[in-house]
Amino acid sequence: MSFKPVYLVEGKRTPHAKAGTALKDIQAPYLGAYLVRNLLDNTTIPNDAVDEVIFGNTGTPAKYPNIGRVIGLEAGLHKKTSGYSVHRTVLQDWRPFHKRYLKIASGRSDIIVAGGVESMSNMPLIYSKEMTELFMNVMKAKTMGDKVKAISAFRPPYLSPIVAIEQGLTDPFCGLNMGQTAELLARELGITRAQQDEYANESHHKAIKAMAEGKFLDEIVPLAYGAKLEKLLATDVGPRDNSTVEGLGKMRPYFDRKSGTVTVGNSCPITDGGSAILFCSEEAVKKYNLEPMARMVDYHFHGLEPERMGMGPLHAMDGLFTRTGMTLEQMDLIEINEAFAAQILAVKKAFTERAVADKFDIETLWGEIPAEKLNVNGGAIALGHPVGSTGSRLLVTLAHELKKRKAGYGIASLCIGGGQGGAAIIENLIK
Amino acid sequence: MTYKKISFEVKDKVAMVGFGYNCDKAMTVLDEETLKELQDIVEELHGKTSELDGVLFHSHKDRCFLAGADINLISAMKTVSDGQAGAEAGQKIFNRIEDLKIPTIACVHGVCLGGGMELSLSCSKIIATDAKGTMMGLPEVKLGLIPGFGGTFRLPKKVGLPTALDMILTGKTLNGKKAKRAGLVEEIYPVERILEYAPKHFKTKAKKKSFKDSLEEMATDNVLTKKIIFQKARENVLKKTKGFYQAPLKILDVMEAGMLKGRTSYLAAESQAFGELCVSDQSKNLQHIFFMVEGAKKYPHSTGAELPKLERGACLGAGTMGGGIAWLMANNGMKPIMKDLNPAGLELGLKQSSSNFMGAVKRRKMSFEDFEKKQRSISTQTDYRGFPRVDLLIEAVVENMDIKKKVFAEVEKEVHPKTLLTTNTSSLSVQEMAQALEDNSRFAGLHFFNPVHRMPLVEIIKHDGVSNETIEALYNWVLKVKKTPVVVNDGPGFLVNRILMPYMNEAGFLIEEGVSMKDIDDACLNFGMPMGPCRLLDEVGIDVGQKVAKIIHDGLGDRAKSSSLSGRLVEKDFLGKKNGKGFYLYDDKGKVTGANPEAQALFPKASKKMTEVEIQKRIFLPMINEAATVLTDKIVETAADVDLGLIFGIGFPPFRGGLLKYADSEGLERIQEELNKHAETVDKDRYTPCQLINDLVAQKKKFYEL
Repeated sequence: MSFKPVYLVEGKRTPHAKAGTALKDIQAPYLGAYLVRNLLDNTTIPNDAVDEVIFGNTGTPAKYPNIGRVIGLEAGLHKKTSGYSVHRTVLQDWRPFHKRYLKIASGRSDIIVAGGVESMSNMPLIYSKEMTELFMNVMKAKTMGDKVKAISAFRPPYLSPIVAIEQGLTDPFCGLNMGQTAELLARELGITRAQQDEYANESHHKAIKAMAEGKFLDEIVPLAYGAKLEKLLATDVGPRDNSTVEGLGKMRPYFDRKSGTVTVGNSCPITDGGSAILFCSEEAVKKYNLEPMARMVDYHFHGLEPERMGMGPLHAMDGLFTRTGMTLEQMDLIEINEAFAAQILAVKKAFTERAVADKFDIETLWGEIPAEKLNVNGGAIALGHPVGSTGSRLLVTLAHELKKRKAGYGIASLCIGGGQGGAAIIENLIK
Repeated sequence: MTYKKISFEVKDKVAMVGFGYNCDKAMTVLDEETLKELQDIVEELHGKTSELDGVLFHSHKDRCFLAGADINLISAMKTVSDGQAGAEAGQKIFNRIEDLKIPTIACVHGVCLGGGMELSLSCSKIIATDAKGTMMGLPEVKLGLIPGFGGTFRLPKKVGLPTALDMILTGKTLNGKKAKRAGLVEEIYPVERILEYAPKHFKTKAKKKSFKDSLEEMATDNVLTKKIIFQKARENVLKKTKGFYQAPLKILDVMEAGMLKGRTSYLAAESQAFGELCVSDQSKNLQHIFFMVEGAKKYPHSTGAELPKLERGACLGAGTMGGGIAWLMANNGMKPIMKDLNPAGLELGLKQSSSNFMGAVKRRKMSFEDFEKKQRSISTQTDYRGFPRVDLLIEAVVENMDIKKKVFAEVEKEVHPKTLLTTNTSSLSVQEMAQALEDNSRFAGLHFFNPVHRMPLVEIIKHDGVSNETIEALYNWVLKVKKTPVVVNDGPGFLVNRILMPYMNEAGFLIEEGVSMKDIDDACLNFGMPMGPCRLLDEVGIDVGQKVAKIIHDGLGDRAKSSSLSGRLVEKDFLGKKNGKGFYLYDDKGKVTGANPEAQALFPKASKKMTEVEIQKRIFLPMINEAATVLTDKIVETAADVDLGLIFGIGFPPFRGGLLKYADSEGLERIQEELNKHAETVDKDRYTPCQLINDLVAQKKKFYEL
């Protein structure tokens, strides 16, 4: 079966804000709907011509079990446009993209809007199993006596909540928290605290510089926020211009308090944000006279042991290079998600050091990832990592930066909780 | 027996009486023929009680149960006894319904107002649908009337005195859900099921009252508390209407005096009051406005041509007006694009829109979720993204002809060929602005008044090149967003501001002559105006007023000259409410805290005492004169257009029926005489009666006979 070309027409994102700050009151669908409207506004595509809306979301709010559908409707798309959500099984959700890719490439769909939204501020606290059962018993109780009896089973510890976000970020298979998997890589590959802090510090200063130069103006659509929705947020809340290696050095390790190296400072913060991309087939591009930013070259997903999930990008990029026959040198820009400084440093190591590559069964040493090509506008450590959105956010940032540089190919990659990696290559078309 | 207006059939021992039968109008009313048939049907029912389980009253219309008595019938009443007899005739029929020995149930779906509501009240029970369009109420007071078919007698028995007074004195309506909560209806159903379930209510007993209800009843159902309730209601009415309106006071008289009366003597008092009110000037004026508004609900020059669909909106400029317009569009599902030069400007617009929405949220007219949806449907941007999708664009950038022309020349290239392009200018020439466009057949003025969410009037301003379809589409759109359109030709100040100008100008001259600001504002308030001229200037912005005054003066000549007062205030940066200082002082929330002593120091000492009537003459005579020239200059077509514009544009007192209606009722001869007198004693330019007034007097005609 031969695949048809898939075009990334345009991508946009919300400003990112650390959870609990500017965007804390915004429900996840509103982080996506206005982006979809904004993307379609720049085209002549009628509101009933979009085939599908697909959104990634990890902390699915109880109120919006199918966020993709809600976003499509809120954006003003025709009600016949189907919409679905992909979630939970993956942490950094890239499923929308490969679904979308296959659908357009196989000729099933012509126009798809895909993206991700995550309001980590709104992730719930969950009642313990005991408390939930107690509620059920009270509801089932028919007489007053039964009710009193049911209630009398209450014990104070029942009230201690389960933090959904913590549970979501813990691997159900190996039982390690994501931070602990990074700690494991740092330990095994000898990545020091100083190296991690240095990397994290650079991420902040790259992001601050990019913001000062207005690099994100084209990719961010300002978002109304505040209790009365009368303020506009146009820039990311997170990057710190006063970040120093010394300052980062003072933070206590979070996941292994005694001998660990992974701190809150050299990991990505919990963040609210969203992103959306309009994908079209060649037919749609012609029909609506579109000027796509980029062409999707190919993508690849790869699994690995869950306790070393941070090496996901290594496997995904290796697989993608191997299948496409392309090389690291051909990439003008590389975006690798910075879940943890330790994890991205580990990936870099495996690209140059034989022993590390062998440990992960990687045949080719793809070479040094040049600093001037890697996460040039800063990464998730500074900008944040709204988990359901990061996959598309990386593509949005990559496409815009390739365009600004009139460059050629770029690769985006990320690790996925549960032990997976994803990667995609795009080719800039606006030169 | 067969009927033409009402269907009547008996099925399974249930009599079905259906309104809106053979009726091609959207709303069914109780006209003479329908009332006659209803009377016959009720008598027929009285003869059949032994063979029937009960009677259902329902409607064949989707949106109307009964919209009330035919207003043409009411407006045709010439004498008190005519009116009284009319009310008695209706009362008799409804009494006969009440007296039926079998259960009667009104199955209300859609509009159920006035006489329709009173019919329902005479049934043993009311059930209703949960449809959005189901609304029940007694709006007679809005026409200066008292419900005359027993409504004031029966409603308190159903819902209690406080709720009944609230409904009758304000004319407000309840939907099905609220009516159930108020105890007015026994149950609500989906429209598809209501008739199927209605017979079940023949036998239901009144629900056992909850403890709270019986407590409430005990508290209110005694003469002493009722006295207090009436007293409170009277105070409220006086506060709200400033005593200008007779009907609510009359209603209170009838209801209070009737507290202990039986049906017959109560209804006699009600019909007597109805007779008196329906021929009063006030009620006639309010009926006149009702007919004007009804008349304005259709564009008079429709050719049936296909009109552009106005689905997506955009607004240029995000100030107070821009934000207000964006709010209006968002509230009507137009997903507007709001464009301004920078984020700070956009935030101003968002703030305005948000505060309009939040008002509704606070009054519980809107949920926060709906607010968020609608507020977020506004796209805020500094570029033209999305403009090719825009169907209606309203420009609200700064009042500067060159800038506006530049904006239109630019935006015309960004939108699609059928986009309607409009300007919200309040004072600039639409004719001239139109020259900036390549295709100005789709361009017009669309003048909203500030604040957009409160002011119901929108002036649609024509120019030589505009197409009839453009005007018609705009007219329909204004109606759709629940505003009142008035189509005007281009000219300085268009319709409303032009006639308003003497209102402000004369206040300025009077102050210069040494009349106190308070006397002037009070005289106008006592005439029934919602704001005195000084207070109004503060509201508009004294600098804005000065600008507009100059444009109108330049355009109309010396009869529109103004005093130098505004200039002196603006020089001292007394701009009005917007910066807290004008004629009056304002606190942070925009409430008046008192007169501005610094401003008063700029005026001559208030030494001249003038009677209230003389002040009113000084101010309203030149307005009437200007309104006449507006007709001469063909700014609008009819006197009704002028009056509609002033009532909805500046809140000219509705009980006076409008400025020209008022002039007609005072007599044009007297107006002419007074104008001439003032031309001699005050100012020739400002008071010389215009040609039209002289002509009308010579022909012994009125403005409304033109």
